[in-house]
Amino acid sequence: MQIAIASGKGGVGKSTITASLLYFLKDEYKLIAVDADAEAPNLGLLLGVIEWEEEREHIGAKVARINTESCIRCGICMERCPYDSIYIDDEGNYVVNELTCEGCNVCGLVCPVPGTIALEEVRSGVVRKATTKYGFPIISAQLDVGRPESGKLVTEEKEWAKKIMEELNLEHMVVDSAAGIGCQVIASLGGADVAILIAEPTPASLSDVQRAYKVVQHFREPAYLIINKADINPGFTKLREWAEAEGIPILGEVPYDRAIPESMVMLKPVVEAFPESKAAKALREIAERIKGEIIG
Amino acid sequence: MQIAVSGGKGGTGKSTVAVNLAIALKQLGTELTFADLDVEAPNDHLLLGVELANEEPVVQFMPRFDYSKCTKCRKCAEVCEEHAIITLKDGTPFLMPNLCSGCRACEIVCPVPGAILEGQRLIGHTYITPTPYGFTLVTGKLREGEERSMPLVVAAKKKALEVRKGLLFIDTAAGTGNTVSKAVEFSDLLIAVTEPTPLGIHDTELILELGKLMEMPTWVVINRADLGEKEKVYELAKKYGAEVVAEIPYSENIVKSYVEGKPIVLTNYPEAEIFEGLAERVLKFIGGGE
Ligand code: SF4
Ligand code: SF4
Ligand code: SF4
Ligand code: SF4
Repeated sequence: MQIAIASGKGGVGKSTITASLLYFLKDEYKLIAVDADAEAPNLGLLLGVIEWEEEREHIGAKVARINTESCIRCGICMERCPYDSIYIDDEGNYVVNELTCEGCNVCGLVCPVPGTIALEEVRSGVVRKATTKYGFPIISAQLDVGRPESGKLVTEEKEWAKKIMEELNLEHMVVDSAAGIGCQVIASLGGADVAILIAEPTPASLSDVQRAYKVVQHFREPAYLIINKADINPGFTKLREWAEAEGIPILGEVPYDRAIPESMVMLKPVVEAFPESKAAKALREIAERIKGEIIG
Repeated sequence: MQIAVSGGKGGTGKSTVAVNLAIALKQLGTELTFADLDVEAPNDHLLLGVELANEEPVVQFMPRFDYSKCTKCRKCAEVCEEHAIITLKDGTPFLMPNLCSGCRACEIVCPVPGAILEGQRLIGHTYITPTPYGFTLVTGKLREGEERSMPLVVAAKKKALEVRKGLLFIDTAAGTGNTVSKAVEFSDLLIAVTEPTPLGIHDTELILELGKLMEMPTWVVINRADLGEKEKVYELAKKYGAEVVAEIPYSENIVKSYVEGKPIVLTNYPEAEIFEGLAERVLKFIGGGE
């Protein structure tokens, strides 16, 4: 079974909750974790991974490069680039900004001087693997600064994870999705059997999770909700009302607890660092419900 | 002048800093326009307590094939970097709309005039919202189910440049991919909001790297400064030639103001002073405003 955990935006405790749930599930189930936030991965750190056993460079992003020698400075490329990624530098040369180029090659197609613009393959990041101290493997990725296509890295992570699942005879993949609703999240949620959404009771988080839920609906996956920092905003009932109106079962509520940020500093799941904390108790109950109602 | 606020990972308090700093700057008399370029999860309007207004659709080119003219030469499919065009055995092209980025490469290479027609697809919206604080908020919002945020960041930034008055003040998405570089591009100053936790420090390095690659003066604001090892942030800042300009302690008041959608700089809480101080530094940097 593939379980994706998403929130629509970072900072609502998705990775902490994921790490804690993995901690509770690890003894009963054979699983693999995937950190699908290639732009700001942190599940590995939260599970105490310091060194990666295997790292694969992902070459696949493309960026355009202009040969200044043959360029006749006609400006057509700059005019036609859909993402305004070509500019004129101080010496009057036409230059591609590699940090914003999407690699579409439109500039190369419109340039009147053959061979002046070439599309080159560059490294977009790394995909890596480790075995956590809890015994289960984790796949993570890191997008290089200024590169496009973080979604492709996520797809590669999941493919690698599937291979490992076959090799080691694992049954479940738990995917910690990226922030946002773009290609990374679509790659994270695609193929999942169920989505667990995490939100906190604030207007901003509600808006983010509603958007993530629309992506979940595209894939027609069943969704569940966990409310984090459930007690920080007592007057705010809209999150609950929304879940009820959409028929999204609420798996549980995790209270605001300083044990969570403190456990993050210790690089441990809160349920391991502070097993008696309020947050840990709530997470234990949620894990039981996941075992009973979702994984079965 | 253009200033961007960014912050590696999500949840560092980037939007809180951006919103409060914008209000403080305006209070000091700086004319500005605020752009929320976190198009996948824009919510600065919620923190500002306003409802998005003046919605405008952002549409993108999408090829439509006129099969009566198409010679099935496959050139369009070969050139498409997104592999959005698939061809049947006999060469008939079909579009998979979700993958199309609207770049027009297919249209450029198609040898038959009129075989590729102009189709359109709605990918999101921009909004221009007046705020009660004396500046306008420009927001880009990607449509759910759309994969590519880059075209929307480009469209929203263009819109912001069109309507801007004075300083363009930008809030970006999390991360350091190319959509964040697009939002940050051409800024005179990058303000990186960080956290001194081990996770925060890892992401701080990436955002500082981005600032360096973009050759931009970079400032660091340490949020929740008492929650970890802030010395490490100082070390990193030094390594990248960036300057730590403010420390914000972990504060229940800030959490409360965030939760209630009421910017802290408008309150009498002592934390408001931090943002006022920061605004004064920014003012000095931009030379008294624009
Ligand atoms: S490849 Fe595309 S995005 Fe990159 S510079 Fe050329 S036209 Fe612009
Ligand atoms: S289109 Fe080609 S020749 Fe013209 S400015 Fe661009 S790179 Fe130079
Ligand atoms: S517009 Fe660009 S992405 Fe879309 S089908 Fe044509 S070549 Fe492919
Ligand atoms: S390039 Fe033009 S003519 Fe050739 S297959 Fe594509 S649409 Fe048809």
